[in-house]
Amino acid sequence: MAALPRRIIKETQRLLQEPVPGISAVPDESNARYFHVIVTGPEDSPFEGGLFKLELFLPEDYPMSAPKVRFITKIYHPNIDRLGRICLDILKDKWSPALQIRTVLLSIQALLSAPNPDDPLANDVAELWKVNEAEAIRNAKEWTRRYAMDN
Amino acid sequence: MGICWCKEKHEENESYFPQSNNDNIDSAIQSVTPFSSAEYYLENTEKGCPDSLTVDKLVLETLGIIGTLVDNEQEPPPSMLRLHNIADNEEGWIQVVKSMVNVIPMTDPLGSSVITLLLDDSPLPSRESVLHVASMFNLSAQSALVGRINAPKQRNICVVLGCIAEKLAGPSSLGILTDSTLDYLITNLNTDTDPNVILFSLIALEKFAQTSENKATIIRRLQSEPSCPISKLEAWVRDDHFIKKQVGFCAQWALDNLFVMPNRKFSYLTVDNSHLNAMLNTSDVSEYLKISPDGVEARCDAYSFESVRCTAQADSGVWYYEVTIITPGVMQIGWATKDSNFLNHEGYGIGDDKYSLAYDGCRKLIWYNAKSEPQHLPRWQAGDILGCLLDIENQLIWFSVNGHLIPPCTHVFGMAKSGFFAAASFMSFQQCHFNFGAEPFKHPPRTTYSTFNDTGVLDPECRQVLPRHIYLNQLRQQSVREDSCTLCYDKKASVRLIPCEHGGFCTSCVGQLNECPMCRSAIHVVVDDTSQ
Repeated sequence: MAALPRRIIKETQRLLQEPVPGISAVPDESNARYFHVIVTGPEDSPFEGGLFKLELFLPEDYPMSAPKVRFITKIYHPNIDRLGRICLDILKDKWSPALQIRTVLLSIQALLSAPNPDDPLANDVAELWKVNEAEAIRNAKEWTRRYAMDN
Repeated sequence: MGICWCKEKHEENESYFPQSNNDNIDSAIQSVTPFSSAEYYLENTEKGCPDSLTVDKLVLETLGIIGTLVDNEQEPPPSMLRLHNIADNEEGWIQVVKSMVNVIPMTDPLGSSVITLLLDDSPLPSRESVLHVASMFNLSAQSALVGRINAPKQRNICVVLGCIAEKLAGPSSLGILTDSTLDYLITNLNTDTDPNVILFSLIALEKFAQTSENKATIIRRLQSEPSCPISKLEAWVRDDHFIKKQVGFCAQWALDNLFVMPNRKFSYLTVDNSHLNAMLNTSDVSEYLKISPDGVEARCDAYSFESVRCTAQADSGVWYYEVTIITPGVMQIGWATKDSNFLNHEGYGIGDDKYSLAYDGCRKLIWYNAKSEPQHLPRWQAGDILGCLLDIENQLIWFSVNGHLIPPCTHVFGMAKSGFFAAASFMSFQQCHFNFGAEPFKHPPRTTYSTFNDTGVLDPECRQVLPRHIYLNQLRQQSVREDSCTLCYDKKASVRLIPCEHGGFCTSCVGQLNECPMCRSAIHVVVDDTSQ
């Protein structure tokens, strides 16, 4: 375990002291760069009522490069593929070291409220979202019920 | 190089070795590929699930090929691709799990790794599928006892449980660790169970404990037993039997790091390291590698390719150390400078960049810059001694297995001429023991040489291998100054950017920026902000 950068210590302390509503991010017990994340599905979205598990990893050169984030819970969303990879600009070319774990997770929650089928990662899902939004939303609700709700 | 297909492709195409190496791999693949019709490996058209015999065959084929794969950039073998497609639907996933449990033999050093590889690259199963699998195994104290007649199957079930526990850490993991699953795993810890089954039961418990409610449940259960079953296994750490030795190592690690029992002293407080002047460096290791309290043994139970360097450095002269191979799977052991990076999640380790060179006696390959060169020695076995000799004056690295030398390697000296450390990378479930000279060597070289233990210096805190929870707690209590840089929180904020006027950064962070981190406008001038 290399020494932990102060930036990570600071963010971890703040996440635990002032949690973001609807989001929980807990550092792994044995790896301070790995966070267990749970995001609640936003109200008035097809993901409402679901609890979505993600993993977040801070790479060696964080914050100069973006955290690596992935959905672990299956989700029917045009910008998230079947392996849980997320298509979000701030995780790629629009990353800035002034962004933080909390801002990243809030952006992901916002992506659930506002899917963007014009910038797809899951092509079949995006296609359906464009040609038949009602059916896509039904699928998303069904997947939420099936994979993101405990009972 | 660790085996991993999730990483992005590399641009680099230089080869440091003759191209003919690939012929061996091609012929090896052909020799274990009994089917060749395109239909058999058809992609993206998997409808329903093929019969269990077909899946059994695909699993065995993947197992046969996996040890011959040396390059992350090459496509995964067709059998593996097809298994991924089959596992894409729930029924198929269940069949793949069933086949792996039934057909993977315990004797293959890569057997347990193949299970983790296949499950790791498959889409996550639904909760229903996982519960279905759990009920299919019919886990209970009774089934643990009855299962003793078929140790390989029980071993595989435990590997699968560990994988599922790790992938589904959280609420779903709670659903699988029922009383009967716990009964099954705890019953397996009895000392008269096959040690392979004990080992992977212990690892499965460790993976379940990644979810804190499970951890509390497991600790309660261990405490309710007449005597803690893991404590009994800890004594095996000094056993001569190599599987039992692994059980002992994992039991000790679990008691220090996860299942902390009252009345047991942490190993770092009881171990005597006074004779050691060189160890594995606990501040220079990738996150998941387990290091023994005496700092000279390491083990990986994660699915990444974990690496470590030693504490002492070699700058000139001739240096030697030995490694006892405890598990015969994929490890890359050799020499690395500090320029060598540990990219554990991408599958890159020692021998996978220009600043390190390693031998992997499972696949029988010398590794340099992520390229491999086959060697003509038998595959290494538990108990084999790997000798690692570094001759800086003559720019040669020699490896030997049980005293048999491999032709010397010179590759790394083009990039590095000093600053070498003993270093190693481990695939999942691999373990070895280092001797930097504190114990007599089994196959000492005939030339004059130095050892890290003769010349190394360890200050008291480096001598301690702290349990992670203690170490991380110490780190997290460090305080952060108010006037520090808002990017690194490490140095003092001292500069402002012109023209946007955003400030609160230090010079070393700004030096790494192309645009303002707040507003993304171009940086024309950086001005000192401390005089105000």
